[in-house]
Amino acid sequence: MGDIKEVYLDYQSSKPVDPRVIDGMLPYFHERFGNASALHRVGDVATEALEESRRAIADYINADHDEIIFTSGATEANNMALIGYALKNKRKGNHIIISEVEHISIRNIAKYLEREGFDVSRVPVDKYGRVVLRKLERRIRDNTILISVQNANNEIGTIQPIAEVGKLAEEKGIAFHTDAVAAEGLLPIDVKRAGVHLMSLSSNDFYGPRGIGVLYMKKRYRVNPILIGGGQERGLRSGTEDIAGIVGMKLAVEIMKREMPGEVDRLQGYRDRLINTVLDEIPDSYLNGHPTERLASNAHFRFDGVEGEAMLLSFKDKGISVSTGSACTSKTLEPSHTLIATGLIHEEAHGSLQLTPGRFNEDNDIDRVLEVLPEVLTRIRGMSPIYNPKSR
Amino acid sequence: MKSTQYSEKTLDHFRNPRNVGVLEGDDVASGRVGNPTCGDLMEVFIKVEDDRIVDAKFRTFGCGSAIATSSMTTEMVKGMTLDEAMELTRDDVATELDGLPPIKMHCSNLAADALHEAIKAYRARENPDEAVPKKSDYEEPTCVIVGQDKFLDKGVYLEVSDLEDFSDQRVLVLHTGDESVEAALEITSQTDRVVLLTPEKEIVTTETLKDELARSSVKVITESRILEIRGEFEVEKVLVHNLDEDEQYELFVDAVIIIE
Repeated sequence: MGDIKEVYLDYQSSKPVDPRVIDGMLPYFHERFGNASALHRVGDVATEALEESRRAIADYINADHDEIIFTSGATEANNMALIGYALKNKRKGNHIIISEVEHISIRNIAKYLEREGFDVSRVPVDKYGRVVLRKLERRIRDNTILISVQNANNEIGTIQPIAEVGKLAEEKGIAFHTDAVAAEGLLPIDVKRAGVHLMSLSSNDFYGPRGIGVLYMKKRYRVNPILIGGGQERGLRSGTEDIAGIVGMKLAVEIMKREMPGEVDRLQGYRDRLINTVLDEIPDSYLNGHPTERLASNAHFRFDGVEGEAMLLSFKDKGISVSTGSACTSKTLEPSHTLIATGLIHEEAHGSLQLTPGRFNEDNDIDRVLEVLPEVLTRIRGMSPIYNPKSR
Repeated sequence: MKSTQYSEKTLDHFRNPRNVGVLEGDDVASGRVGNPTCGDLMEVFIKVEDDRIVDAKFRTFGCGSAIATSSMTTEMVKGMTLDEAMELTRDDVATELDGLPPIKMHCSNLAADALHEAIKAYRARENPDEAVPKKSDYEEPTCVIVGQDKFLDKGVYLEVSDLEDFSDQRVLVLHTGDESVEAALEITSQTDRVVLLTPEKEIVTTETLKDELARSSVKVITESRILEIRGEFEVEKVLVHNLDEDEQYELFVDAVIIIE
C-alpha cells in the first residue's frame, strides 16, 4: 500500500488492546504468574489480583462482587446464561424468548436449545431494529423461563429498550438476560437500573485482551455450569483463571470509566459527520437503524445498485477496513439477519456498509473515507445494470 | 479460505474490468442471468460478424468475483465462433482467472451462462424457424395465500381506505392490477417502506404508472409469490417464493395489501 495510512473503521467487529492495558498485564505473565487456587504466597498474589478485578468490574456495572463470573469471552457468557439457566430451570418451564436481531452466538445457542427440546420464540423488531414490546409481551407464556434481548445491536447500532424489557420480565417473574457487548464503552451499563438478571460482557470491547469475558449473574438467578472441572469461580466455571487477562479486562474497564464521556462525544461527532455527509452527498443512499436511538460509534448505510463485497474490496485496495451485511462476505451466503429483520429485501441488504469508528481514529480517517466513498460508489454503480438513479 | 481470498488475476479483473458497457445494433444480442435478490445479476452483449464474436461487453451487479468473471468471459470470447463460445463453461472462466474460492464457484460465476443466453438470442433472431418456441411464462395465479383470512383486520387489507393506517409501517402490496400500483404509490406519502410484489418479470401497467414507480421509493420484487402470511396475533412476516430461483425466504412486514 506504499505510504498510504491504513484506516480502520471496523471497531464493532474487533478492537485493538489499549497499550496502557498491555503494560498493566505484563507483570502477570512472569513475576505474578501464580495459580489463584494455590494457598502459598505466589497463589495469594494471584487471588488478590483476581478479587480486586472482580470488585472493580462489579463496581462499574453496579453489581456485587459475588455476582461476577469470569469466562473466556462473551460467547461463553452467552452459553452459560442461556444453556446454564435453561438446564437449571427446566422443571419450571421450557420456553425461551429471544429477539430476531440477536448476535449470531445467541441465535445459534437458541437453535441448540430447540434441538434439545426447549421451545424458542423470536420477537420481531420495527423497521429501525427495535424490539416491539407489545409483541414481546404477547409471546410470554406460563412456561416462559428466560428472555434474552441485547442491550444494543452489533450491526446497525440500534439501542434496545432494555429497561422496559427488564420491568416486564420482573413483573412476570421471568429471568432477563442481555448481551451488552455492543454497548460497551458507548452506553452506561447499570444492571440495577436496567433490571437485568444475567448479562454478558467481553473484555475486548472495552479495549482489553480477547479471551476474557464476564457473566453477571444476579443472586437467586443461578445457572448450571457448562464447564466442569476443578471448581473455580465457585464451581460455576472451572479452569485455572487467566489472571493476566482478567487484570487486563479490569484495567480496560477502569480506563473506560474515566474516559468514556469524552470518548463518546468524539465518536458521536465522527458518526454524525459520516451520516450527514453521506446522506447529503451520495445519491440514493439510506441510513440503516434508528436515526437517534443508536450507538455513538455506528454509521450504517445502504446504497442502491451496489453489492457490499465489491464495495469492501474497493475500500481494501485503498487501505480502508470496513464491514458489510452482504451475503457474499458471509460463510453461509445469507444476508445479515438483522437487516432482513428490519424489513429490508435481500437486494437492499446486499448493498450495506458499516462504519464503526473507535478510540484510535483521528479526524483525517473520517476525511479519507468520505473522500474515497464517492469514487468507490461511482465506479461500482457504473458497472451495474440495476442502478437507476432516483434523485438528481 | 476467506471469501475475499481471490487470486491476483481475479483481483486485477475486479480492479480494472475489461469491456464494461453495452453494445447496440442489428448484429448485437444480449443475455441476462441472475437475480438481484441473490446478489448477482449479469448482462452480456455480443456483436457478431460471420458467425464470429467480434466484440463483447458486460454490466454486472454483484460481488468481486461476479465482476471479475464477467470481465474475463468477455475477454475470452472475442474472436470465437458462436459454436466455440457455446462450449465455454464456468470452469473455463474460473481456470483462466487462476481459480476462484469454492464458495464463489456457484453463485457468481454466471457470466458464461449469460453469454450462452446471448448466443441463443442471436440465433433465435437469425433463424426464427429453427428457434425452439419459448414456453409461456404465464401461470394461473394461485389464489390461496395461507393466513390471508386469519390476519384480516390484523394487518391484511383488501382495500386502502385510510392511508394513515400505514403511517411508518412496512407495507407489502401484491400486484393485482393498476389499482394496486396506485395504492403502493399513495402509501409512499405515509412510509418509506413499500414493497410491490409481482409474479411477472416486471410490473405490467400503464406507462405513466411505470414512470412514477421508477421515481418513487417503492421497492419492486419480481417473479415472486406470497405463499403464507405469518405472525403471532398480527401480521409480522410473509413467506416469499422466488419463482426464478425456486427459493423461499421470509420478508418482515407490518401490513399486506391484497386488492382483489
